[in-house]
Amino acid sequence: MKAAGVAGIAGLAGCTDSLTSGDGGDGGGGNEALGNYPIEGDTATFGFNIPLSGPYGSEGQDELRAYELAVKHLNNGGGWVDSQFDDLSGDGVVGKTIDYSEADTETDKGKARENARQLIERDNAIMVSGGSSSSVAINVQDECQKQKVLFMACLTHSNDTTGKDCVRYGFREMFNAYHTAKALAPVLGEEYGEDLEFYQLYADYTWGKSVEESMRQFLSEGPGWSEVNSVATPLGTSDYSSYLSDAQSSGADVLLLNHYGLDGAKSVRQAVDAGVDEEMDIVVPLYNRPMAEAAGDAISGVFGTVAWDSAIDNTPSNEFTSAFQEEYDRIPSGPAQLAYAQTLQYAAAVERAGSFYPPDVIKELEDYSYSNIGMGEETMRKCDHQAQRAVPVVRGLPADQIETGNYFEIVNTTEASQVTYGCDTGPAAQCELGPYE
Amino acid sequence: MSLVADLISILLNGLQQGAIYILLAVGLSIILGTLEFVNFAHGALYIIGAYVGLYVAQGLVVSEGYLAEAGFSDLGLGMGFIVGMIVVALVVFVLGLLFERFIARAFYDRPDTDQILVTFGLAIIVQEILRVSLGSTSQPVNQPTWASGSVPIPGVAISEWRIYIILITALLVGIVYALVEYTDFGLVVRAGTMDDEMVRLLGIKLSRPYIIVFGIGAALAGVAGLVAGPLSPINPTAGTDILVPAFVTVVIGGVGSIRGAVAAGTILGITQAALIQTQIGTYNLAPWSQVGIYAIAAIILLVRPEGLLGEEVDTA
Repeated sequence: MKAAGVAGIAGLAGCTDSLTSGDGGDGGGGNEALGNYPIEGDTATFGFNIPLSGPYGSEGQDELRAYELAVKHLNNGGGWVDSQFDDLSGDGVVGKTIDYSEADTETDKGKARENARQLIERDNAIMVSGGSSSSVAINVQDECQKQKVLFMACLTHSNDTTGKDCVRYGFREMFNAYHTAKALAPVLGEEYGEDLEFYQLYADYTWGKSVEESMRQFLSEGPGWSEVNSVATPLGTSDYSSYLSDAQSSGADVLLLNHYGLDGAKSVRQAVDAGVDEEMDIVVPLYNRPMAEAAGDAISGVFGTVAWDSAIDNTPSNEFTSAFQEEYDRIPSGPAQLAYAQTLQYAAAVERAGSFYPPDVIKELEDYSYSNIGMGEETMRKCDHQAQRAVPVVRGLPADQIETGNYFEIVNTTEASQVTYGCDTGPAAQCELGPYE
Repeated sequence: MSLVADLISILLNGLQQGAIYILLAVGLSIILGTLEFVNFAHGALYIIGAYVGLYVAQGLVVSEGYLAEAGFSDLGLGMGFIVGMIVVALVVFVLGLLFERFIARAFYDRPDTDQILVTFGLAIIVQEILRVSLGSTSQPVNQPTWASGSVPIPGVAISEWRIYIILITALLVGIVYALVEYTDFGLVVRAGTMDDEMVRLLGIKLSRPYIIVFGIGAALAGVAGLVAGPLSPINPTAGTDILVPAFVTVVIGGVGSIRGAVAAGTILGITQAALIQTQIGTYNLAPWSQVGIYAIAAIILLVRPEGLLGEEVDTA
């Protein structure tokens, strides 16, 4: 509303000086007011919209830590700002000090959209980031597109985020379910054999359906597996025993648990406690450190993919782990790395554009290639705003090796070239980005 | 899977899922029926029981929150599940007594809305204290080693611990039922429920039995928190999440009726399990499992507005 109002006044006033960016550190002279641009005063506000409660609450807490660390480094230097992002200087962004507002999505898409409105209209956020649930991310990025405020998606893994629900104002660093399935299917085929039968339980919303569809596609096309059944489970299910009983009695060889966060920890633990793992191999296509922590030794031997992990041994990864540990005395999770990386990516694009003017920042991000966040060479593709990047495939460590902060081993890091897909295929084929302005 | 294995699986899963509802609902129901006190803090007692039990029975690693910052990251006594259950029952019983004496008692004659506000507020306070002290990370609770196998029935994937949950629930609810139905203590409580003024005129002080009723209800919630721990990693908000199905169980069963709570919990658990495990042709009914619970609740309340065995309270 505010944005529309400002834009309207700008039109009537014929783009007065007060509504165009001058040279006061924002450097985008001549650009019309758009969204929360131009920024008044010396402070630019980022809006972090994260799940601090609900099934993905643990992930959200870690994301918030990383966002706070990113803001600190943007203003005062440190971490990747000093070592990996040449565009950043550690004294704010294009002359503005960075501040932030946070809001709890409660892992609920309606609440998340309302939060996004408040962050944009009340707190004047120039950029919104967050996620953990794909339905949250899709709703928030839709709101951001309408309000012409950039959304730097943190954790969201549904194909739809950069597929049929993609927007011009949204960018995703995280790989999607399609990438996961392409990376995981060959590993599973090699490990368990060909022509097996599998059974899927999946979270009943956009993300779970994405994973279910992609796993079915690539397990069929790759190792030639066939699906026995696929059953939806409500988000936030407390007890999976009945679902697991059915899965076990199906006679399938492999059980795919397409659940995430606390739900994933519960379902894999309940499966192992019920002895399902004695008759079926269990796969959790996407998991992370907080999930493994909550699942305990039930994660042992379980294959999956992770956004990022501190065990990935390269300079950017080690630097991030070190900075995070120094600040919080704990090992960062994959979602934390995404939150930190996305905040800095946005800030660096603003610096390259020399302005917070959204269309200029978008153009700086589109087709931008980088290799500074610990995942090798990446490209933020212009056609769907989906990073084309490597996918770490992991396996839970044996029970006797599981210690705090060390739950899984990296089986391989599947190169971006092996999991990428064309702009006219896969999820990208359904993507129609909206207008720049 | 054979039909027999299917039915066994539905029965055991249903009974077990219902058992947790029953443990919570019995305490909630007797407090509501006897003291006419709406206790939204019942979920807080559940989660306190879970954390106390985890501390005593197994131990926990805390990586965030005030305790971790103060250097207390490895907590726990590792005394085993049975000791854990006994300690939880005692600790939460005492907490229940304190809660009744210093908070609930002042609200007995106040409107339901006041009771809801104060108990809901208390639940949030407990949740936040746990969160800032121990962090919001979910803590895994291991099954006791003596119950860590799976049930040896071909085609039925159920852990032994779930059978123990059914047995523990049956034992505890049986004891409470006997206490209320067949002892002088229970007679006073039931008489007080029907006409507290008359009981007082007879020279019987009701504050003591009432506080014990509160303590028993609290202890059942605490034990529920610990026994449900191995099914789902615990975190500070788990108590709030379980409160709604527990209240639904109370309402369906009939306020104040132990037998009603047992019947309602069993019906809800089995309905849920049956819907999840039923497939018509290629269509699986699992997505209707949550709806099914509330549909059953609506049907029962339409036919019997007082709940399944609600009348028993009035006439007992």
